[in-house]
Amino acid sequence: MSHRNLEEVLKAAGNTVAMLRNSQIGAYVYPVVPSEFSNWRDEQTAWQKTAVLFDQSHHMVEQYVQGPDTLRFFTHLGMNSFASFPVDRAKQLAPTSYDGYIIGDGILFHLEKDHMVFVGRAPAASWIEFHATTGGFNVKTKKDDRSPGNTRGLAINRTNYRFQIQGPNAWKVIEKLNGGPVPELKFFHMATMKIAGRTVRTLRHGMAGAPGLEVWGPYAEREEVRAAIVAAGREFGLKEVGSRAYATNTCESGWIPSPLPAVYTGEKMRKYREWLPATSYEATGSIGGSFASSNIEDYYVTPYEMGYGPFIKFDHDFIGKEALQKLAGKPHRRKVTLAWNADDVVKVWRSMLEQGDPYKFLDLPLSNYTSATYDKVTKNGKQVGLNMFSGYSYNERSMLSLGIVDPDVELGAEVKIVWGEEGGGTKKTTVERHRQIEIRAIVSPAPYARQAQTTYHEGWRSKATA
Amino acid sequence: MKTLEDVLQATAAKGQSAVDLLRNAQAGPNVYPGVPPEYTNWRDETQAWQKACVLFNLSFHMADLYVEGPDATKLLASLAINTFKNVSPGRAKQFVPCSHDGHVIGDVILFNSAPDKYVLVGRIPALNWITYHAQAGKHDVKLELDERSAARKDPFNRKQYRFQIQGPNAMKTMEKALGAKPPEVKFFHVATLTIAGKKVTALRHGMAGQPGFELVGPMAEGDAVRDAIVRAGEEFGLRLVGGRAYSANTLESGWIPSPLPAVYSGDKMKPYRQWLKEDSYEARASIGGSFVSKKIEDYYLTPWDMGYGSFIDFEHEFIGREALQRLAKGAHRKKVTLALDNDGVLKVIASQLQKSGRGKFWEFPSAVYSMHPYDKVLADGKAAGISTWVGYSANEGRMLTIAILDAEHAEPGTEVTFVWGEENGGTKKPTVEPHRQMEIRAVVCPAPYVEAVRKTYTDRGWRTQATA
Repeated sequence: MSHRNLEEVLKAAGNTVAMLRNSQIGAYVYPVVPSEFSNWRDEQTAWQKTAVLFDQSHHMVEQYVQGPDTLRFFTHLGMNSFASFPVDRAKQLAPTSYDGYIIGDGILFHLEKDHMVFVGRAPAASWIEFHATTGGFNVKTKKDDRSPGNTRGLAINRTNYRFQIQGPNAWKVIEKLNGGPVPELKFFHMATMKIAGRTVRTLRHGMAGAPGLEVWGPYAEREEVRAAIVAAGREFGLKEVGSRAYATNTCESGWIPSPLPAVYTGEKMRKYREWLPATSYEATGSIGGSFASSNIEDYYVTPYEMGYGPFIKFDHDFIGKEALQKLAGKPHRRKVTLAWNADDVVKVWRSMLEQGDPYKFLDLPLSNYTSATYDKVTKNGKQVGLNMFSGYSYNERSMLSLGIVDPDVELGAEVKIVWGEEGGGTKKTTVERHRQIEIRAIVSPAPYARQAQTTYHEGWRSKATA
Repeated sequence: MKTLEDVLQATAAKGQSAVDLLRNAQAGPNVYPGVPPEYTNWRDETQAWQKACVLFNLSFHMADLYVEGPDATKLLASLAINTFKNVSPGRAKQFVPCSHDGHVIGDVILFNSAPDKYVLVGRIPALNWITYHAQAGKHDVKLELDERSAARKDPFNRKQYRFQIQGPNAMKTMEKALGAKPPEVKFFHVATLTIAGKKVTALRHGMAGQPGFELVGPMAEGDAVRDAIVRAGEEFGLRLVGGRAYSANTLESGWIPSPLPAVYSGDKMKPYRQWLKEDSYEARASIGGSFVSKKIEDYYLTPWDMGYGSFIDFEHEFIGREALQRLAKGAHRKKVTLALDNDGVLKVIASQLQKSGRGKFWEFPSAVYSMHPYDKVLADGKAAGISTWVGYSANEGRMLTIAILDAEHAEPGTEVTFVWGEENGGTKKPTVEPHRQMEIRAVVCPAPYVEAVRKTYTDRGWRTQATA
């Protein structure tokens, strides 16, 4: 009954896909942060029109690595070049399996000499911890896990608070906090500044082309720093963003947060599976959606498919290098935004007012019902891709999802997303009995740009939403 | 510290009314803290209370006021429209105080555990009113308020847990948890039970026409009792109900959770307003919706509006008695359910996918966006009444509201129009994004709407008569 590790869990389950598609873990929760500060419509509007404060203090794991081998260690895991990665720089880290498939991704911060922290979902953090503790590197690790989904009154104590100030007015807010001009660092460069008399570390970030900052510091200082940002932002229309709106900002910015970690197969990955606890994300997480393959490897994705092709540098040895070298230069599926047909979306809601099983409930603004979304995308009846993260944008007045499509599927093409699961639905707790429906969608760029709406004028989109 | 009266006078000095203040209050709907929005998903959780059984966790969103002492009964009876003749230890009843003008202050549940020992549970306006009179009338009582989680610094450090086991399989679950048949207890009577080795105070309750229990005990024992019930209920399809589904359940049972406390006007109420603090519920409450009147009195409800006309007992002295005697002779509005027209609802929802002219966002399942929803209901373009709670029933597959209509429009089957959203793009409440008002046709139906409830509650149900 009680298994010690992922490998044992998988052996007992027999069928990995069935296990994950019927996981009982429930919704993927963005914890602690209130669901809405004002309302998610105005909060979404603010990141495009004024400014927002994202509170990222709770939903991500912080995985620290410290010691003389720190840089050598991350070079060993990362497909990116580490040739120039000094202190006070950050980079996206997307480690792959030996076969070149994505384990996960997140941001790696170079905090000080021989000291880095990875911030992101659990899978990449666990992969880092495993190799750092078993790979013979001279490093120490420290993990600061994400906050629990249901706190039930327990005190939360993270190492750091982590905020982002984003939106077209973000820099004005930052300069007001600083009491004067702030030198605009290059993207993903780090510095420090004072907020409310506290020293905070900053990462130059940005959204929709406007510069912003990620700021962090000791968790105990979070409320004073937050209060100062909110006060400074008032005249610039800054809004605090709750957990409902937060998770959907990626529908506009085009990052896919939840590829399935490619850890379930392969002899070379066995040691890792034996190390991952039976309570891990990998052993308990869920797959949801209409894409049902008997082979778990069909759920794996490559860095090329996630849009990380340009990061890959073969100037160093790293796990997955040989596999990626074989893939390089071949045609790849590519990341796109799918803009859903309004009439088809309304059909989903209409079904809730009609007799019989409804279509799968389409929640707003975040419509995922699982840790890792995998819906079938078809064209002319043939599968041409996967839908991997779905939500509604009040800014774009559209359901927007992120996915990957075959290389020959062009921007502007009409495809169909199969929404809902087969046979009335799997046994996931978030799945009520329902029917599947095909929803038309226009293949659009990721990130989704407003120009997409003016460019693809022909067809139903302009008509349906006119 | 400033008082509600100060706040209202400052508002008046700016040329604004109490209505302006409350309709633009910076407060969204009441929250259901301490429980996740969904344990599984709100569709299945909603269906479970009609098809299997559910555990509601009511431990966090209501305030408890303990009233004890030689004058306790006298104090409470002097504020209640209902009689205290049938109050005795081991019984509970609805407690509905009114203002001097006969308008409802609040509506809570009163438990009588021993002679002159009570606890009242619900939204705080009724409890504030009791506290004020206990002090102003120098009654010999001891009061202790245990605030709801959202209003305290230690949100989850409540004195008591409070669960309900409801649904057609509720008694089977209870039998399994108790290891014996649950004792025969009359509706709204209390028994002491043992679950998981813990002593539990059990109020015989019911929902959707099916018997159930409300279980109360010390907070520290809550987890053990809940876990035992969840285990017992496994084979009977028990589901834990999260905050999203919970707030929609009243649409089916027909109870109005949100009368505006009738405290904002009237000279006789002024001392009370001078007692209520500027940070009280009453000073911070929000009104939302399409019903707009300059007069705050138009938002007040009578006991008849709430369906409590039959509760009123003129045999005893109580605040509001004279006013209610006068009102008793006039016409009364009627509480009904409105079943909203599907196409009209879909137009609102579909407008979210339009460039402009979007209606007020329609949340599933509870579409309430203020502490006190008040929407306009029209018949042939003229005012026919107001609508209060609004949302979707996953059991009925309909959008429903609990409304209060003039008698001439309250006949089941009458067609009326429900106006969704606020005027001129919306008020300044944080939960209100810019939107336009939209009209939705609706059919008048009985309250409660659910057929099983309608049938069973007519004779014995607390929503109608039995606890009057």
